[in-house]
Amino acid sequence: MLQLIDFSVSFGNATALRHTSLMIHAGDRLGIVGESGSGKTMLALSLMGMAPDAARLGGMLRMDGRDMTHATEVEWQAIRARRVAMVFQEPMAALNPLRRAGDTVMEPMMVHEGLSRDQARTRALSLFEEVGIPDPAARMRQFPHELSGGQRQRVLIALALACNPALLIADEPTTALDANVALKITDLLVRLSRERDMALVFITLDLAAVARATEHIVVMYGSDMVEQGLTADVLAAPIHPYTKGLLAARPDPTRGLRDANGKRRRLPTIAGTVPQLFALPHGCRFSGRCPVEVSRCTTFKPALKPVGANRHAACHLHTGEDA
Amino acid sequence: MTAPLLEARGLTRRYRLPRNALLRAAPVLTAVDNTSFTIRAGETLGIVGESGSGKSTLARMVMAFEAPDEGEVLFNGQNLHTLPAPELRKLRQQFQMVFQDPYGSLNPRRAVGWSIAEPLRAIGVDGTTERRTNEALEQVGLHARDAGKYPHEFSGGQRQRIAIARAVVTRPALLVADEAVSALDVSVQAQILNLLMDLQDELGLGILFISHDLAVVGSICDHILVMQHGKALETGPAAQVLRAPTHPYTATLVKAAGISR
Repeated sequence: MLQLIDFSVSFGNATALRHTSLMIHAGDRLGIVGESGSGKTMLALSLMGMAPDAARLGGMLRMDGRDMTHATEVEWQAIRARRVAMVFQEPMAALNPLRRAGDTVMEPMMVHEGLSRDQARTRALSLFEEVGIPDPAARMRQFPHELSGGQRQRVLIALALACNPALLIADEPTTALDANVALKITDLLVRLSRERDMALVFITLDLAAVARATEHIVVMYGSDMVEQGLTADVLAAPIHPYTKGLLAARPDPTRGLRDANGKRRRLPTIAGTVPQLFALPHGCRFSGRCPVEVSRCTTFKPALKPVGANRHAACHLHTGEDA
Repeated sequence: MTAPLLEARGLTRRYRLPRNALLRAAPVLTAVDNTSFTIRAGETLGIVGESGSGKSTLARMVMAFEAPDEGEVLFNGQNLHTLPAPELRKLRQQFQMVFQDPYGSLNPRRAVGWSIAEPLRAIGVDGTTERRTNEALEQVGLHARDAGKYPHEFSGGQRQRIAIARAVVTRPALLVADEAVSALDVSVQAQILNLLMDLQDELGLGILFISHDLAVVGSICDHILVMQHGKALETGPAAQVLRAPTHPYTATLVKAAGISR
């Protein structure tokens, strides 16, 4: 239903997303993992037709077989909410503080589908139930500040589902939540995707959530896709040095606090910092921080190439000859 | 065993909420309820809990930004909340704080060297300000020449290094870190945690490390205190709390953090 072919987004001489190719089918659950500046949010905004006006888009973005790369705002409005919808990170910021939760969720139904208030209220009630909000009738009358963080995120999910989208994009939906609430929201998104045969694009830097929620994974770094494959495969045996570093850098309390000499153990790190978009290194984006780089890494950019079944990586050490 | 660097005894803090009805008494929220703990030099105590559990209120009382309704905070045996203001001001150089958002806590219109030297000016250090600022920058892995740059010229991780430099410039004995790595990317977060451990080894710092992330807390803390609704539910050596949580709430946190052996 959604296809990106060699898609890119740039601002002046800064590239936010480069030559990205992706295919999403109904019911797919795709995780996009990357740190700030990796291009993951720009990817998400592009899928909603919400890339900033200053952005230059290249390649092709197809939705339901239609080329939407240069679609106008009006064309996007016909698709948004009904085909593709988004759940944002900050539920407090994404909800209108002066409107009752129910009214917020009913609005897109009345605007996009011409439902009457009563029809919209009936659907909103069943949505509140579907996303696991207890006592939905009472919650619909409440304002965002009266709801807990987890409930706000559920309202936001109900809002995204208001017009039965075929694709739901969740941009760091759990980052602002407490760990045990985050777990429940992650599971909720998976359940909704299964029950509705709705595709889910789950953008996060939480590797544990990606492992739990998705079947496929894309790892992004410095506006490039660096690794792609089945989530279980990639997390169990990462190929790209960045993916390896990211997995190793997760704090792991089971290593033990101190070593044999009683000295505090340091955490494994990736050296350096994430590069700025207008100052990306030539060659591989990860060069300069990569622990295993060879001389060609700084001059030739590795392309994303197949490495084994259903698996792609962009690394000279694994994909052999390439310029 | 050495005397504790910091001792919190039965801390309680209540806030009066806006009244619901004109003639009814305003409801009272007990943000921190009878909580005690100690931190020794060179030791890290981690406080974990969800948002609203009272972690930050606890930090503010330890920093003497606000007074407890009951209980006391002893720093090297001195009660912070009964100390006369001029003496407290002098003592402040020994306990410093690192906040979550390094961009919000640095003045965007001032060179970072100015911000780092701010605590020195506050306690009236003169003459050695520049040398000590440069020293602090190098301690956190930056360069003396960075003192003339502005916050926007640095990445998030570097800004947090600057915030840490400002905290250690007074050569404190205690560092209070409130969600100090929560806003950072995973790969940068590990660097900052290592930096805190380096400084701890170098300066013998006691650290009060507040976080909602049990995996982070478990990786750097000697002891853990778990809070919920203002109450301390469980405390003990980190390894023990993670391996065999005694309170069901701790168990759900351990599970949610995906910590398993």
